Amino acid sequence: MTSTMLRPAKRLHGTSPAGRGSAGRRPRRITRGGVTLTALVAPSILLLLLLNAYPLINAAVQALHNGTLIGEGPYVGLDNFAKALADPAFWKAAQFTLVFTLTGVFGSWVIGLALALLMRTKIPGSGIFKVLLLLPWVVPVVVSATSWNWLVATSSSPVPILAKALGFGDVLFLANPALAALTVCVFKVWISFPFMMLMTSAALSSVEPAVYEAARIDGATKKQMFTAITLPLIARSTYISWILMTIFCVNDFPTIYLLTGGGPVDATTSLVVLAYRVVFQNFKTGYGVAIAFLMTFVLIVVSVVLYRQIRKSVIH
Amino acid sequence: MSSSTAIRPPATLAARGRKTMDPARGQWVRFTILAVVTAIVLVPVGAVFLLALQPPVATGGSVGFASFVYVLTQTATLQWLINSLWVTLVTVIAAVAVAAPAGYVVSRGRNRLVAGYSLLLFIVQSLPVIVSVIPLFILFANLGLADSLIGITIIYVGGTLSVAIWMMAAYFDSIPISLEEAAWMDGCSVFGSFLRVVLRNSLPGVLSTAIFSFLVCWNDYLIAVIFLRSNDKFTLPVGLQTFFQQNATDWGPVMAVAVIMLLPPILVFGCLSRYFSVGGIGGSLAGQ
Repeated sequence: MTSTMLRPAKRLHGTSPAGRGSAGRRPRRITRGGVTLTALVAPSILLLLLLNAYPLINAAVQALHNGTLIGEGPYVGLDNFAKALADPAFWKAAQFTLVFTLTGVFGSWVIGLALALLMRTKIPGSGIFKVLLLLPWVVPVVVSATSWNWLVATSSSPVPILAKALGFGDVLFLANPALAALTVCVFKVWISFPFMMLMTSAALSSVEPAVYEAARIDGATKKQMFTAITLPLIARSTYISWILMTIFCVNDFPTIYLLTGGGPVDATTSLVVLAYRVVFQNFKTGYGVAIAFLMTFVLIVVSVVLYRQIRKSVIH
Repeated sequence: MSSSTAIRPPATLAARGRKTMDPARGQWVRFTILAVVTAIVLVPVGAVFLLALQPPVATGGSVGFASFVYVLTQTATLQWLINSLWVTLVTVIAAVAVAAPAGYVVSRGRNRLVAGYSLLLFIVQSLPVIVSVIPLFILFANLGLADSLIGITIIYVGGTLSVAIWMMAAYFDSIPISLEEAAWMDGCSVFGSFLRVVLRNSLPGVLSTAIFSFLVCWNDYLIAVIFLRSNDKFTLPVGLQTFFQQNATDWGPVMAVAVIMLLPPILVFGCLSRYFSVGGIGGSLAGQ
């Protein structure tokens, strides 16, 4: 365990009155070497300006024009945004993005939490399990998408054969719109639960066993201990993991694109996939960027709402 | 203190009475659940390795490493591997070299400007790549960097930078400033103390950051597929995807390429899993 891994634990201690107090949490700031500090941070600022700020401003300009990848095109004001909001394809993609994100966040959280709770108890070989269960998060998504393709794509793949043997008939997971959406969501949960497991494990390790001991003396049931102790004590870390996973899901391109390409009949086209297609297949740069901006706007609103929750969730 | 020790023995007895008679049995039940879950979860990973042992359809033959020999000698896989390794190595070194000093400033220089910078990093991180990649593509095309490994390396450095700075800052937070103060007493400059005192004691933080950059870079598909056009410039993710589209049912070679792509992250993860921290990212966010 590195101390970076223990970070959430330290924060919890820092905010609890019984901990070593917030004064010891952070080093005092240094007041000397202003020039050196500026020099140290300068390269990163330069790179961020060139690789993040410039493209962002340029993208904002493009969103106001009807351009292609070659030329900027005529100025059209907010037409691209109005067009997106009136476009059924946009709303369909928004709907799928919502479903994909909600399943991705809560599906992986529930599984990650369950496994983290299970791992907390004494189990032989739990160290090995922990490493093995992290693999879906470590394996490159191109590799796992290839493997999932092998598992589900055609009628001669293992999972459809299994489904047939169980009496479900011929199930084509990636050809049926509803099933394709489900498959992509399950794939996302499979990729993401290890992240949730790690985050939750780190948070759980900071909960002192004495708290449970005290609750047991007071006659609390296991369910009560879970809802009244465990969940509130890991609330901060939970909200953080939700924010991060929401960002990961909304911005996710390869998980969807590599498995289904956004199909069948756009059933798994999320906003990112839609923006990618509009720009790189239909060559409508302005419109594609406008879609991406609308998506980013909603994402930032959601992040801020969840972020406020973090600040509120003080541990007592 | 004395009251809690007085109460503890009956409580433990009561708990033991309420729970299963045999704690070892519960332990093995949980072990079985965990083993089954792990086995199901690992099916797609295991399938990659097993299928890679199939021989190529073109040559036939017995189960073994024929597909690996085939993809390494008959296809561009080796070139893709070299491209991926080059891009990743340069990105990791550059990202750590830029993020470590910046992280030091974020950790130590706590004023409003630095706090604003820290928040800016979070916003940058949450922006979708698709927004910034389009202007960058146009810019890089004009600079002749569109279909080039140097081009995507620069973009990867920019893409990993914000989180890398956070991770370094989170680690530096755990190093007491008294160490630097002692160095300053001895006449060391701020830069000198950063280099010789702080950075020297930050190997775990540097490794975590390096692993993070490595994984982002090695696994990236979106940027590579947008920027790289010619076959000999492909990195492994684009190479594998292209190869898969062309040889969809020839699973031996396809999965052999997948295994080649999978091995470096698994090796890194196996050797350095201690430093593999996602908690660092969340933890530093909590401190904002």
